Amino acid sequence: MEFFDTPEQEALRDALRSFTRKHATPERVRAAMASQTGIDEAAWKSLSNDLGLLGLAVPESVGGAGAGFAEVTVAVEELGRVLLPSPYASSALVVLLLAESVAPLAEELLPGLADGSLVGAPAWHADLSVGADGSLTGTAGNVVDGAAADVFLIAMGRDLLAVRASAVTVTPQPTLDQTRPQASLRLDAAPAVRVGESARALALHRVLTAAECLAGAEHCLDVTVGYLKTREQFGRPIGSFQALKHRCADLAVEVAAARSAVRAAVWTAALPEHAHPEQARPEVSLAALAPLAALVASRTFTRVTGEMIQLHGGIGFTWEHEAHLYFKRAKSSQLLLGSDTALRAEIGRVAGLLR
Amino acid sequence: MSVSVPDAEAFRAEVRDWLATNLTGEFATLVGRGGPGREHEFVEERIAWERRLGEGGWIGLGWSEEDGGRGLPWSHQVIFYEEYARAGAPGRAGHVGEQLLGPTLIMFGSSEQKQRYLPGILSGAEMWCQGYSEPGAGSDLAAVKTRAELRDGQWHVDGQKVWTSLAQFADWCFVLARTDAAAERHHGLSYLLVPMRQPGVDVRPIVQLTGTSEFNEVFFDDVRAAAQDIVGAPGDGWQVAMGTLAVERGVSTFGQQMGFRQEFEAVLAAAHANGAIDDPQLAARLVEAWIGLQVMHWTALATLGARLGAGPGNAPGTEANVAKLMWASWHRDLGELAVDVGGPEATLTGPDYDLTDAQRLFLFTRSDTIYGGSNEIQRNVIAERLLGLPREAR
Repeated sequence: MEFFDTPEQEALRDALRSFTRKHATPERVRAAMASQTGIDEAAWKSLSNDLGLLGLAVPESVGGAGAGFAEVTVAVEELGRVLLPSPYASSALVVLLLAESVAPLAEELLPGLADGSLVGAPAWHADLSVGADGSLTGTAGNVVDGAAADVFLIAMGRDLLAVRASAVTVTPQPTLDQTRPQASLRLDAAPAVRVGESARALALHRVLTAAECLAGAEHCLDVTVGYLKTREQFGRPIGSFQALKHRCADLAVEVAAARSAVRAAVWTAALPEHAHPEQARPEVSLAALAPLAALVASRTFTRVTGEMIQLHGGIGFTWEHEAHLYFKRAKSSQLLLGSDTALRAEIGRVAGLLR
Repeated sequence: MSVSVPDAEAFRAEVRDWLATNLTGEFATLVGRGGPGREHEFVEERIAWERRLGEGGWIGLGWSEEDGGRGLPWSHQVIFYEEYARAGAPGRAGHVGEQLLGPTLIMFGSSEQKQRYLPGILSGAEMWCQGYSEPGAGSDLAAVKTRAELRDGQWHVDGQKVWTSLAQFADWCFVLARTDAAAERHHGLSYLLVPMRQPGVDVRPIVQLTGTSEFNEVFFDDVRAAAQDIVGAPGDGWQVAMGTLAVERGVSTFGQQMGFRQEFEAVLAAAHANGAIDDPQLAARLVEAWIGLQVMHWTALATLGARLGAGPGNAPGTEANVAKLMWASWHRDLGELAVDVGGPEATLTGPDYDLTDAQRLFLFTRSDTIYGGSNEIQRNVIAERLLGLPREAR
């Protein structure tokens, strides 16, 4: 079992941190937030072309790096840590799923997705019906990175379907979290092709989102602790007050728990035998670990960012400070993943705890 | 000399077979006995069981062969602890010797001390207890007042220790005592090995809120220890004692977690039996408890990995503080859940205050967040050593 970065993953993480130090400056993030697309186009081009980040999970035979799910997770974490405004997490998930697919459409789309000239996005919140010819009609909302996408992946029952954006009416939606745009979709007999299993797609989506939440929580705890070490009131650093120290310690424990949950889920998701998540024992099954990691990591991220604002005091309530960006990202991720109640119920069912 | 490591699954089968063969006859009654909350049960029999374990070569699995152990990797130790707990084998009467004193001697002891004391631990022949806490030195351990003086070639020990488990049955106690009256706090302390069976040692059980007694007060009135029975140099006691605390909760964590799992399953079964599972809030808490079990399991694996140098980890030792805060709080929550699942029925005990498992869990887990460093002390350590926050103004 590999619970820590391999040397290759560590090198990737280092390269990404240099990249984000250069590209994800507060000015750049703010500028992208205010832009039409909500994407930092320069950063997107650079991470696609210079870093080849989209091709990480694409087999070498199709021009990719032949790396795996764990490496994609590293990338999602590092970009999420700085809230880099790009459709990376969405498109990388589509790449992962199509790289596992045997559908001819997957082979057709992969090269473009791998070099960043095409963007893919999953649509989880859909209300669709299937026509006699297999086409889809209806709507989907809360499609993260929907306006940038050239292809959508949609879960219908057990199937994962691909729909080209050219067959869909896409409307951008204003978002609470301005670092991650969303769109709504209208489909009118849009041609759809089966490319895989919906359970696998949902599981990988949850694990990637959980990993992004973990990185955000780590960042916010670091920043908060750093602030408490330097901010002085009553003639001493406020981080010396036990009331604040204990709150930070509790957050550190929560982050450690989230890290365990995410690492376990990533490790499990990368195992080939878990391509069919429903078949394994609950303790090691992706069917349980994916919602578990999603629940724990998004809850932790939400709690850490709330505490970040409180522990920063007034400055944490300003638009200028970064705290609100993470606070909004955390809550949005939590809401998009589904309610705690629903995730718990699912975990309880999969683990055989409930009747 | 190379250590031959058996195949993991073969080893698991070996542990299972041995337990199935040996946890029978006179030892059959010990299933589910002893351990936290039941430390007072069948102690004599559990000491006999410890000797049986020693004969089987199941003590000191991770110690090097040079130290008399089997030199097995942590993965095999985990298997042993898991199978041991799965079989319901009794709480170890010898765990203080094996888990605390043994590793301390291996780390800090002289070769004469290792030769003298390790075999007794490995065979189960000698039982140990821990003499750290005092009435005035709980969270603030450096405030110990027990004194020891070297006179006429012997240490003379005077003072009082408290929260000493199994003290009535122990042959030896490792005692943190002040040997330099002029030195303060962490300085001037020494780590002494004191025989328990001698005049001047008075053990008085403490009746806990469970109505049972697992812990004791131990009084030393001019009690003697041999001059050479000091671990480390005079004045090094604090470093040696901290070393013991650092080795506490190694791979035995996995056995502890197997016990947690069994307790959880009992609570879950009770909820299904009496219909509590249909209460959405109780159901949610049960799922959260299961989630906590998984998180603790993976955290323990990550901690082991960090210890073995497989990863960057954090500041040395703080993983143990994080894990302690995690499991102690989890276990206390499970105790509350256990009686909440029971409902009104959980308010009734057997005759003579004989508690149900759920009641025992509910009551005893109140000690989990206090002993071995209270939750508040764990938070201080995490804040200062892991997060690097400044020390409180004192």
